[in-house]
Amino acid sequence: MSKIGIPRTLAYFLYYPLWKTFLDELGEEVIVSPPTSREILDQGVKDAVNDACIPIKVYHGHAAWLRDKVDFIFSPRLVSVRLFGDFGTETFCPKFLGLPDMVRLTVDKLPPLIDTRVGIKKDPKEIFNIAADIGDVLGKSAADCKKACRKGLEVHKKYQKLLSSGVLPPDAIAQLFPNEPETNNKVRREEHQRQRLVRKPNREEAGLNIAVVGYPYAIYDDYINGGILGLLSKENVQVFTQDMLSDKVLNRQAKHLLKSTFWYFSNRAVYGGLHYMKQKRIDGIIHVTAFACGPDSVVDRLLEIEAHRHSSKPYLSITIDEHTGEAGIRTRVEAFIDMLNYRRDKI
Amino acid sequence: MKKGYLGVDVGSVSTNLVVLDPDGKLLIKKYLRTNGKPIQTVQEGLYQIGQEIGEEIEIAGAGTTGSARYLISLIIGADIVKNEITAHAIAASSIDNEVRTIVEIGGQDSKIIIMRDGVVTDFAMNTVCAAGTGSFLDQQASRLLIPIEDFGSYALKAKNPVRIAGRCAVFAESDMIHKQQLGYNTEDIIAGLCEALVRNYMNNVGKGKEILPPVMFQGGVAANQGLVEAFRRYLDMPVEVPEHYGVMGAIGVALMSRDASRRKGATGFKGFNIQEISFKTTSFECKGCSNACEVVQFYENSELLARWGDRCGKWEV
Repeated sequence: MSKIGIPRTLAYFLYYPLWKTFLDELGEEVIVSPPTSREILDQGVKDAVNDACIPIKVYHGHAAWLRDKVDFIFSPRLVSVRLFGDFGTETFCPKFLGLPDMVRLTVDKLPPLIDTRVGIKKDPKEIFNIAADIGDVLGKSAADCKKACRKGLEVHKKYQKLLSSGVLPPDAIAQLFPNEPETNNKVRREEHQRQRLVRKPNREEAGLNIAVVGYPYAIYDDYINGGILGLLSKENVQVFTQDMLSDKVLNRQAKHLLKSTFWYFSNRAVYGGLHYMKQKRIDGIIHVTAFACGPDSVVDRLLEIEAHRHSSKPYLSITIDEHTGEAGIRTRVEAFIDMLNYRRDKI
Repeated sequence: MKKGYLGVDVGSVSTNLVVLDPDGKLLIKKYLRTNGKPIQTVQEGLYQIGQEIGEEIEIAGAGTTGSARYLISLIIGADIVKNEITAHAIAASSIDNEVRTIVEIGGQDSKIIIMRDGVVTDFAMNTVCAAGTGSFLDQQASRLLIPIEDFGSYALKAKNPVRIAGRCAVFAESDMIHKQQLGYNTEDIIAGLCEALVRNYMNNVGKGKEILPPVMFQGGVAANQGLVEAFRRYLDMPVEVPEHYGVMGAIGVALMSRDASRRKGATGFKGFNIQEISFKTTSFECKGCSNACEVVQFYENSELLARWGDRCGKWEV
């Protein structure tokens, strides 16, 4: 049995249940790094190349945290998960493509990385080949890998169901793996229980409904975004994110654009934003974007233009980087909420 | 005694205090430099106001805004704490309820607020760049040995504004030096700087915003006539500077305190003589987890009133 480390950032927020179940079923021990903290961020900023975006730097920090605790770090090279878009070449952002190399070359004393290439463009069944490749590294038989992968996909489906019922990813993960000490710290559990009581769209007079779109690793990582979801829930705002929407609903938005972007997570954010802009019960849209993110220079502008054009829904863009002060985010969020409340009173 | 409403706006550079009468008319204003000491500055400002009008005015409501709004609300006993954007919008529309664009430039931040039919519909603040804010102008003025108060009038005397790179404060400065070395006169350089700042503001904060008249320009930097002119030229529309442009945030929150204290039925205001109370803050690094939050403790005399700075909330009083 090997110890396998998973950094709690980037694709973790969408695929952890799949990865964890798969590795568990193979009899491996999964160790997840703790939620991003100052220590992890500082380490990542130190290790990573200077002009990377903050999520990539944070990933370096998580990998460094795991290095002396595990035998392998699970860092699959995410290339593409579907054939989609105008050229049929929707990929992850270039930094994801080069991530395993970047991490390997910049973080000292790393254990071996499991950096299997994930390209599932043509056929969903390709995932079983990928599972077998990973199993190969760990010395497992192809048959076992297939079985484990099936189990993983089952749990992944459950996970997606939870998300589409309106549960936020960290809470859904806590529900699926209640006994995992690291995943499920006490604060998170209490938060989750509190949220379960209120997780219904706010009706007219009650609080506001705000869609928060952006990359999962920007909106669900409380440390790097100044706790924006917590700020909103304190103000009695019900939060909706693109990850609560099914692929079908998201992809329907593609035809409203002249052209989609090339990047998987970017398209999800754009489509999610477009969908919520058309929902009457949504009072406003917040886009959380990482400073120095290349794709976001397109995504942010696109969302802003669409927000004005389609619905004149109030739109707020919040940029995060390693120097982000919580105060700045708080001021903007408070002003945004005031604005929505005044508008609502007026109508 | 007549009733008055107090608004306090504590920003990075200046601390502004105003008292309004129940109709929203300004009775007194104080514009002080914060000098990194928000607590003492507010104590001093309140004391001055108390000396001048404390005999005839009774404070019936108080509010705070600005980056130190939470800290100062504890000190004065505020009835309402509001962010600067809402405060500026309320103040501007109290002067001109038709206003559709508010340009606000303060010491270290700048914002644009778009209003339609008296309601804020869009806003933006400067993100990672402070070029074009008051601090930068301050610095350049002292480098040119010109009092900041005269900066604007120099710009107005210019015949041919020089083009200065406005992307970044550092580049703007080296560009200015370069232009000086080439022999351009100071007036033209200062006017060029004003134009560069407006360009920077429009490309950064104002990007993608639908700017319609009436435009109101407020914040301490609106004192700079050169900049007002540069905005007029760039936008090609009239730009109005309200009489009390420097204290608009404080006016806005004073107006809001009127409603807030009415709702509450009483004010929490502690009085003008809070100089006699000793306010103290101490801080420590929490060892609870690897976030190592810097927790601030706030004491009134020796009583612990509040703690903040922790991310998890375990130190809340």
